[in-house]
Amino acid sequence: MFQALSKTVRAPVARILAPRAVLVETVRGRKSRTDPKAKSKIGRIKYPPPVDPEEMVVLKERFTEYTLIMRALRMQFKEEMLRKRYDEETGSLAEARAKQEAEEHQSLMAWNNQENERLRKIRELRVQQEQEQLDRQLREVALARQQALEELVKEKELEILTLQEDAKTFITLENLDQRIEEALDNPKNYNFAIDKEGRVVKKTVMQ
Amino acid sequence: MSLGGAANRPFYRIVAAYNKRARDSKYIEQLGSYDPLPNIHNEKLVALNYDRIKYWIGCGAHPTKPVAKLLGLAGFFPLHPMTVTEAERRRKKAELEAAAAASERPEEAKESQLEQ
Repeated sequence: MFQALSKTVRAPVARILAPRAVLVETVRGRKSRTDPKAKSKIGRIKYPPPVDPEEMVVLKERFTEYTLIMRALRMQFKEEMLRKRYDEETGSLAEARAKQEAEEHQSLMAWNNQENERLRKIRELRVQQEQEQLDRQLREVALARQQALEELVKEKELEILTLQEDAKTFITLENLDQRIEEALDNPKNYNFAIDKEGRVVKKTVMQ
Repeated sequence: MSLGGAANRPFYRIVAAYNKRARDSKYIEQLGSYDPLPNIHNEKLVALNYDRIKYWIGCGAHPTKPVAKLLGLAGFFPLHPMTVTEAERRRKKAELEAAAAASERPEEAKESQLEQ
């Protein structure tokens, strides 16, 4: 624990040679303010430990030396710390760090650009291919439509031809008489017989 | 030094904390430890983080007496005067006791001779 010395010193600064008879008040303990003193301790007077004057003189000297050195050490540590902090924030270290960061940024940006280029090429290829596919599809559709049209036309022509062919056998006003006479002259027999095995018999009883 | 550990087994942590706080309560940073009981090889282990100790003293922290004594013994600080005085007192006491023992034994020898 690093504590201020002034807080822990409770005994007063006493004269070295006179016997010290001072009541040192208690700081911590089990009892609270309002508790009475114990019966065995009523007449007790606490004395601080006896002091050897020669030893005290020597001790004082040693303590002055000690505090001197401690102060010097403290100031030196403070200066070291301040210097380190200054270096960190505004000194060479900061510059080196900034440079390093800039370099990293640059390299990362270059990498990013490369990636973008690569992806752009891939994308262009892909888009081109898709476009070609679309065109192909359109063309195919157009072709199919055209073919369907042509087939329709062909079918229609076929129909027309067959119709024309059939038209030759139609009965018109001019053919009417001829046809009637032909029909009357050639009686047709549509009767036939068939059995379960599929044998057809066309020969029947004629009228 | 904040005290921790179990019954009859203390263990201290050397710690940077606020002055007003209780001894064992929340600290800012731990800077080392001290085990007062000697281990198998009869050593008391102390750990110190010099770098951070320097930082905190530079920020304006004060060491307590036991920590100052430990650091003095370690060589980081100058030797604390109280360690020296304690050592001197003990040495004087030991010498006195040795002298008393030495003076007692010749007396015992003389007494035993007289009895005989």
